[in-house]
Amino acid sequence: MADALLTRGTAPRASVRAPRSREAKTRLTGIIVLHVVIIVGAIVMFFPFLWTIITSITPGASLTNTPALIPENPSLGAYQRLFAERPFGQVILNSLLLAIITTAVQLITSSTAAYAFSRLPFRGQTAVFGVYLATMMIPLQVLIVPLFVELKTFGLLDTYLGALLPTFASAFGIFLLRQAINQVPRELDEAATIDGAGHFRIFTSIILPNIRPALATLVVFAFMGSWNSFLWPLVVLRSPELQTLPIALAGLQGQYTSQWDVIMAGSVVSVLPMLALYVFAQKYVIQGVASSGIK
Amino acid sequence: MSTSIAQTALVDKDPQVMTSAPIRVSRPVRSSRAKSRYAFTVLAFLLPSAIPLLLFVLGPMVAAAWVSLHKWNLLAPMQWVGLGNYAKLLSDPITGDVFLHTVYYIAGYLPLVYFGGLALALALNTALKGRSLLRGIYFLPVVTSWIVVALVWRWLLSPSNGIINTALAAVGIQGPGWWTDPHWAMPAIIFASSWKDLGFVMVILLAGLQAIPTDLYDAAKVDGAGWWRRLFSVTLPLLSPSTFFVIVISLINGFQVFDQVYAMTGGGPNGASEVVVQQIYDLTFRYGRAGEASALSWMLFAVVLAVTVIQIRGQRRWVTYG
Amino acid sequence: MNRKLMVAVGLAGVVALAMTGCASSTPKASGPVTITYSNFISNGGNEKNLAKIVTAFEKKNPNIKVTVKTLPYDSYGTALQTDLAAGTPADVFDINGPSSYGPYQANGVLAELKGVDSGKYNKALLDSYATSGKQYALPTSFSDVVLYYNKDLFDKAGVKYPTSSWTWKDETAAAEKLTDKAAGVWGDHQPVTYNEYYKTLVQNGTTFLSKNGKKAAFNAPAGIEAAKWLVDKSGTTMPTIADGQGTADFDTNLFKAGKLAMLHTGIWVFGAFADSPANWDIAIEPGNTTHANAVFSNGIGVSATSKHPAEAQKWAEFMSASETMISVRLDSGWELPTTSDTAKLATYLTKGKPENRQAVFDAAKKIAPAPSIGDNQSAMQDAITGELVEAQAGRETVEVALNNAEKKINALLAG
Repeated sequence: MADALLTRGTAPRASVRAPRSREAKTRLTGIIVLHVVIIVGAIVMFFPFLWTIITSITPGASLTNTPALIPENPSLGAYQRLFAERPFGQVILNSLLLAIITTAVQLITSSTAAYAFSRLPFRGQTAVFGVYLATMMIPLQVLIVPLFVELKTFGLLDTYLGALLPTFASAFGIFLLRQAINQVPRELDEAATIDGAGHFRIFTSIILPNIRPALATLVVFAFMGSWNSFLWPLVVLRSPELQTLPIALAGLQGQYTSQWDVIMAGSVVSVLPMLALYVFAQKYVIQGVASSGIK
Repeated sequence: MSTSIAQTALVDKDPQVMTSAPIRVSRPVRSSRAKSRYAFTVLAFLLPSAIPLLLFVLGPMVAAAWVSLHKWNLLAPMQWVGLGNYAKLLSDPITGDVFLHTVYYIAGYLPLVYFGGLALALALNTALKGRSLLRGIYFLPVVTSWIVVALVWRWLLSPSNGIINTALAAVGIQGPGWWTDPHWAMPAIIFASSWKDLGFVMVILLAGLQAIPTDLYDAAKVDGAGWWRRLFSVTLPLLSPSTFFVIVISLINGFQVFDQVYAMTGGGPNGASEVVVQQIYDLTFRYGRAGEASALSWMLFAVVLAVTVIQIRGQRRWVTYG
Repeated sequence: MNRKLMVAVGLAGVVALAMTGCASSTPKASGPVTITYSNFISNGGNEKNLAKIVTAFEKKNPNIKVTVKTLPYDSYGTALQTDLAAGTPADVFDINGPSSYGPYQANGVLAELKGVDSGKYNKALLDSYATSGKQYALPTSFSDVVLYYNKDLFDKAGVKYPTSSWTWKDETAAAEKLTDKAAGVWGDHQPVTYNEYYKTLVQNGTTFLSKNGKKAAFNAPAGIEAAKWLVDKSGTTMPTIADGQGTADFDTNLFKAGKLAMLHTGIWVFGAFADSPANWDIAIEPGNTTHANAVFSNGIGVSATSKHPAEAQKWAEFMSASETMISVRLDSGWELPTTSDTAKLATYLTKGKPENRQAVFDAAKKIAPAPSIGDNQSAMQDAITGELVEAQAGRETVEVALNNAEKKINALLAG
């Protein structure tokens, strides 16, 4: 496949050599093949979501039957029931609040720690970083009970603070940003140091602007982690008015029977904000790169 | 910028961070006051993350280690059994089975998701029309819950009337029983997981690709490097920090695979796809053996830690930082 | 960029502070006593019905307030176990059937309920929440499993409808006649699971565990016959696993679509079948040597650590035996109350399809007792279901499967 693979669309590509006509032909074929493959792939990726949407507008939908591409009596009744029969709007707001706070705090805790691991050498740094990584290596399922008992002694059960505190630092985010900061040329720091900048200045005015793609990526994953988290909010939040989206969605499945159209409507509703955030973040990534002066 | 920079970038420089002899940006003066000021700076940058991790992850981890030395059904008081839980797990054939299934999962999942995600990131980093939309679509499965994804995949892989087996039959291949067959349950989980996580790898690698300066490619082109050569001498080396990240994270997460197994096969048929974390969950909340669950978690921890340490040691050979 | 970041920090800090403020200002209880009730039974559509019962209770007991927390059925156990481990259970909580009741009672997390008017309850159901003559929980509702049949398919094949005098033999003969694979019509469907197996054992005159409960008793001729009764349907009169058997909603969809003549399932699908065009009814399940039925109940218990045990018990009794509860349940088609007062249930008999609603109560009179072994209950159920499915898929003979299951279960019973 042709040159296209390595070039970014937003940056105008300077043609270094005048392409010969045969090369241009192969390039065209390459681009066509690429488009076809990518679009077929996209259909495969999109299909389950389509299935979810169709099921959500099929009244009394069942699971094992192959759904008709266009349902016989399409209806938005499931969406109506979703919001009318339970405080779903409230639940979405709750989840939004938690996700926004988690994301904001993780941006700070991750970027500062990543800076320390990348730019502030100290004795035992490797070991400390190893301990950070180790926090990802024990499954949550076994930490739930000790964590619950701990927050009980702090008196934080059934509070948002209790739900949030364990999400405030994430080794995943720290590792992600550390990798990004490692790629920022050190010459930039040095130049700033000569200008008399301290670490805090270098961090805020050199490092952060240069790792925007990674920050945007972290925003997406931190938000998603909170938005989808199930087990911890399930046990720590009890009051109905504090309930979050994944638990409300799980509540749509009954002991013996489930209303699949409503469940799928809930699933569509829960996916949309994440998708919007992702598309927004991607735009931000590309703009960030296009406008940053150092490249 | 010139070719020389492109080439320096390809030289395997000592990764500054993991070694103990780093290049410092501002060389601290060796006075004790400067030293303590530097220490203060380090702490100021580390503490916001260190405090929550210490309190809410490491603390409970130590508590789980304490629980692992007890017999506990969560309801009655704990009873001290020393290393009894570990001995019991080591002599239980199920322990070996669940680890084996987990490793099988990783062996299938990691190459699929990494190479798939890489190809996707490369393709979607081009001047493709509707690129934003396409990226969004490829990201959809990442944000969809496993409950829904599992339903869809069980339906696609339905042995007698699923789309996939129907397509296979059309070209004369008798499709397997997928999640109903002990030999095919894990491959079914691997396919579904790779499909779902493709967008995750894509996003990380895309961010990495965005960070590669365009002039390096121009310089390589001036040198007459073709597409493949540029891929291997510019893109992949400069993408290596992101690749390293993806592989370390995928392994850590892969060892803790649970949601997809729970949703797709429930560990069946008859335990054929049961994985470590599922066993941990069952032992804790269904079988009333929380002590054993904690012990199994620490065994898992030891394995994941060893694998990660090996990767960190090995990164010097192939990971290039800026 | 960094200014925005700073604003975000500030915001996060303020919100965090505000929330600590909320957390520490818990109202001091004075006057009415507040008890908490953690439940899953109202989850998935009956939240409003539960609220009606709570309102009626609070009206009758102005000095008691009930705070309800509803959890998803699937993760209720996880949340409850975490609460029990930390010593923070609700004053009153749901119990997912006698098999969950066993370990809770044995580990002392349930308060004894004294002075319960036992005359108000179905005796067999009440007894399944009692240990050594003492009551530790109360049944709130029950469902049982019956035989559904499609009259149109029976008429078409010229087969007589099932009756209460049917045995397994009659069912098999009918199923074979009704099965028309070419037309995609199946004669019978019965899940191959622990819940079906322990019941069919009783229908065949034997039991899952030995009399003293210390050993598995199913690996004997009568038990093998019962396992074959389930397993051998697969592929002959019942769709195979590869056809989709055993997945959620498969059997009910097939029945709704008029492609299944007989179906063994719970009375909880009445609602789902109500709008089915098929002409259907129910009958009590056939037995082999005797009738025996799987009856599933939900229970309600009071925490041993509750600070208001008297008020908590009052609510538990109201939730399991009050007239309000009975009428709310019957009116809304929520699960059946466990009352002994058959007159109150009379309205249920004439509530429309199916016609033979009497079978629901007849089935509840002959309960196949579910084995209860404490902490290892779930492990035991997983083991037998796993092996039966191996036999159903043809990867093992029934004999080998039962041998394996016996070994695993005896090991669990030995501790």
